[in-house]
Amino acid sequence: MTVRRFHAEIGAAIVTGALGLAAMIGATELGVGWEESGPQSGYFPFYVGLILVGASLWNLVAAFLAHRATVAGHARTGEAEEPFLDSARLGRLGRFLAVMLAFVIVTLVMGIYVGSASYIAYSAWRGGYRPLFALAMGVGFALALYLVFEVAFLMPLLKGPIEPLLGIY
Amino acid sequence: MTYLKTGAIAAVALLAALPAAAEWAPERPLEFVVASGAGGGTDNFARTIQAILTKQDSIGRPVVVLNKGGGSGAEAFLYAKQNAGDPHKVIFGTNNVYLLPYVAKLAYSTEDLQPVAALAMDEFLIWVKADSPYQTAIDLIDAAKADPGALPFGGSQSKDTDETLVALIEQKTGADFKYVPFNGGGEVGVQLAGGHVVANVNNPNENLGQWQAGAIRPLCVFAPQRMAESEPIFDGKGWHDIPTCAEQGVGIESYQMPRTVWVPAGVPEDALAFYRTALQGVAESQEWKDYLTKTSQSGAFLTGDELQAFIDNSETSTVEVFKAEGWTAE
Amino acid sequence: MGNFDLLMQGFGVAITPMHLVLMVAGVLLGLVVGVLPGLGAPNGVSLLIPLTFTLDPTSAIILLSSMYWGALFGGSTTSILFNIPGEPSSVATTFDGYPMAKAGQSTRALTLAFMSAGFGALLGVLVITLLAGWASDFALRFGAPEYFAVYFLAFAAFIGMGSASPVKTVVSLSMGLLLASVGMDNVTGEVRLTFGFSELLGGISFLVVVIGLFGIGELLATVQEGLKFRGVSSRIDLRDVFRTMAELPRYWATSLRSGLIGIWMGITPGGPTAASFMSYGIARQASRKGEPFGTGRPEGIIAPETADHSAGSCAMLPMLALGVPSSATAAVMMGGLMIWGLTPGPMLFATKPDFVWGLIASMYISNVVGVILVLMTVPMFAALLRIPFAIIGPMIVAICFVGGYTVSGASFDLWLVLLFGLVGYLFTRLDYPLAPLVLSMVLGHKAENAFYQSMILSDGSLKVFFSNPLVGSIMALALALLILPKLLQLGGRLRRRQPVE
Repeated sequence: MTVRRFHAEIGAAIVTGALGLAAMIGATELGVGWEESGPQSGYFPFYVGLILVGASLWNLVAAFLAHRATVAGHARTGEAEEPFLDSARLGRLGRFLAVMLAFVIVTLVMGIYVGSASYIAYSAWRGGYRPLFALAMGVGFALALYLVFEVAFLMPLLKGPIEPLLGIY
Repeated sequence: MTYLKTGAIAAVALLAALPAAAEWAPERPLEFVVASGAGGGTDNFARTIQAILTKQDSIGRPVVVLNKGGGSGAEAFLYAKQNAGDPHKVIFGTNNVYLLPYVAKLAYSTEDLQPVAALAMDEFLIWVKADSPYQTAIDLIDAAKADPGALPFGGSQSKDTDETLVALIEQKTGADFKYVPFNGGGEVGVQLAGGHVVANVNNPNENLGQWQAGAIRPLCVFAPQRMAESEPIFDGKGWHDIPTCAEQGVGIESYQMPRTVWVPAGVPEDALAFYRTALQGVAESQEWKDYLTKTSQSGAFLTGDELQAFIDNSETSTVEVFKAEGWTAE
Repeated sequence: MGNFDLLMQGFGVAITPMHLVLMVAGVLLGLVVGVLPGLGAPNGVSLLIPLTFTLDPTSAIILLSSMYWGALFGGSTTSILFNIPGEPSSVATTFDGYPMAKAGQSTRALTLAFMSAGFGALLGVLVITLLAGWASDFALRFGAPEYFAVYFLAFAAFIGMGSASPVKTVVSLSMGLLLASVGMDNVTGEVRLTFGFSELLGGISFLVVVIGLFGIGELLATVQEGLKFRGVSSRIDLRDVFRTMAELPRYWATSLRSGLIGIWMGITPGGPTAASFMSYGIARQASRKGEPFGTGRPEGIIAPETADHSAGSCAMLPMLALGVPSSATAAVMMGGLMIWGLTPGPMLFATKPDFVWGLIASMYISNVVGVILVLMTVPMFAALLRIPFAIIGPMIVAICFVGGYTVSGASFDLWLVLLFGLVGYLFTRLDYPLAPLVLSMVLGHKAENAFYQSMILSDGSLKVFFSNPLVGSIMALALALLILPKLLQLGGRLRRRQPVE
């Protein structure tokens, strides 16, 4: 599977446009007018949102035009449109992101220590290190986090159900 | 210094009445949740208490200070709601705890927190630039009446203590100022010294530096009686020489901001008693008195019914102002 | 030269074995705090405040300020090595620092950064020493319209000449403005664009966004190209450090100009972050020949670092003389001052000369100490790049998320880091510039507040921005910076179309 630049451009333009639209809707609740004493608090978010929607539409149209030009060029010269992500890159990125997502979810459920220890151990293991070494890296990292943040700088990190059992709050 | 005496009596009564009270003790590190960013008045309040408690060793567990100043402090109070019943979270605020829910739609209400104690009162004064033509508060108010909506009056934040006080002055006297909100007291002080606003209602320690330099001067203080004696600050005048606003004919008896300590709702009574006793110890310490003098705040140790009465009173009178100004969010 | 005598007296106060130990300890602690994103200087300094109750105020402020310098140095380190700004003010350092490190010249990039940081700091202290009285009077002249003009100038200087597509710059800029307006606004007391989510009440933290955009975004870009850092083969040699130091005098103009920008922004309310962006922008506009900025230009490191540090040290002046902190860390130190019983104000210089001049003298010494200490750590930090990606990559990810969490202790921010990581990756790949987003997030809200205040003061008249020579000339300068380069660029474009990379 390959993602073309055209698709990515359109995706980005739609997302930024939606953000602008959301801001405009949110701003209308606050009043978007210009009073005697200056702008109401929704004034700037509304018009900035409007500008964002406009710019996103422009990018959308530009992406279509660029796409049509390359397709026409393709028909003439036989050159394909530049791929944004070929399947090898997409795979690498997808795997990395999936593991990162799992890390975030595990962290939210089990706390930062368990989350980061298992994330680093898993990645090191997948990266070709022996399981025991990988595990040591993960646990060592979590321990270092604990010592730096919790002990030295008194900054509590997110904890899950396991830490209280060990007497760490 | 009567608060000390009543405080001591209350402590004795407390110890006598609740012998079991001292039995609760923290089982894990305490979190001091501060409803302001690092460096704000509330932050200093909490960190001073933390230092004194550590020195007195009355907690027996480490204390971690967390700043949750987002949304004018609402972040800290929401955090208290999320941790209902957790006796290891102590929240530090001002009157914002019970006033914020009136002016903004927030996902917590005052019932989500229980008051433990108030330890200090910050005073409010009217200040003008040193070379301004106004010698008394009435001069300033008359000028505002003569030219409605023209005199810029600086204050920190909107719909907060400063703007409430300015609105109260307007409601009581019929004057009409142009209120300009800034980010914090220090900034408002400089805006006044630079002549960009005509007056402000800063707390004493926010304007002390500029007064020492003779760049600005106080007109009156919103307290029932004059402030405590102090060293002369500028031109032979000290805090005690400032007349009260009531003395000058502004019909506002008293306007003060309490520095308060809270725990989440659902915390058992014996834990509350533990904190009351610990804070009592703080309020009686020499370090605390030094802190009050250095920051020009008045001491006041309120707990229990006395504190509840103060809160109810302050809440009712402030909400009246909110309603009259149309600030209530509903 | 009354100030000079006072400074000498200050050196007498500052140079004691105890104070030197405090400086070294402070700088080292600061380095640690600065290197870890999220655990920034304000946090570190506020943590030390209770410890300082037992010290005398002079020793206490020396410890705290040394920690601040250390944190500023540390913040640049991660910006250069991993594209993760440890401090908001070191964002601009990533633009050229990271590409240079990626090209295998991490030692050079770090040395450039630290040396110019030290230079900037010393320049800043020198100005404090010589012009303390004048500078605080100057700062008093800044009311709301002048504040707005300064923020507008910082925008104009940076945005005026970008190489990216103008429409994409607009997208990035407006996104930053919108992100900055989320949450409860302190000045107006209004809750905006939270859509009912309590998590958004406190706003979207700038640091969380930056950690995602730059840290995670860059890692994703690294991953798609195969799992390695390109800096792996970089040679680490102390001789590199000296060689780089020798090339510094060549950039005297950039250094001096950036230092002056930093001093101005430190004294007036712009602050170090605005200073670093502005001086980067102006350095870019001033340069004519050579490699484009953003590809590892030495000036692109020197400009933001010099300005950042000169602004950082000059920010001590309004803090001491006016009680207005122009950075978050200064705000914390000011809190300390009050607890120690010192009142910031114009009279502090007269009533507590030992304290003020001891602090100023210590700024000279601790910045020199800081440069030496941090240079000694260069080989160590650069060696980090040799660790295989399978280990260091996930560790950076974990540190980014931990950093995002510690900013305000909210687990919701973990999602934001992830989300902005994706945005950062996508935007970089699609040639949306990230810098305008970051800049508008830092300054947009302050500018809006200043605008709002100006409108109240002037009863809604825009003429207030040209109502006196000071505000008028800043506005005129800003407009010139905004429009002139565009016109020149347009002229250039008509002649030759540049390929977009």
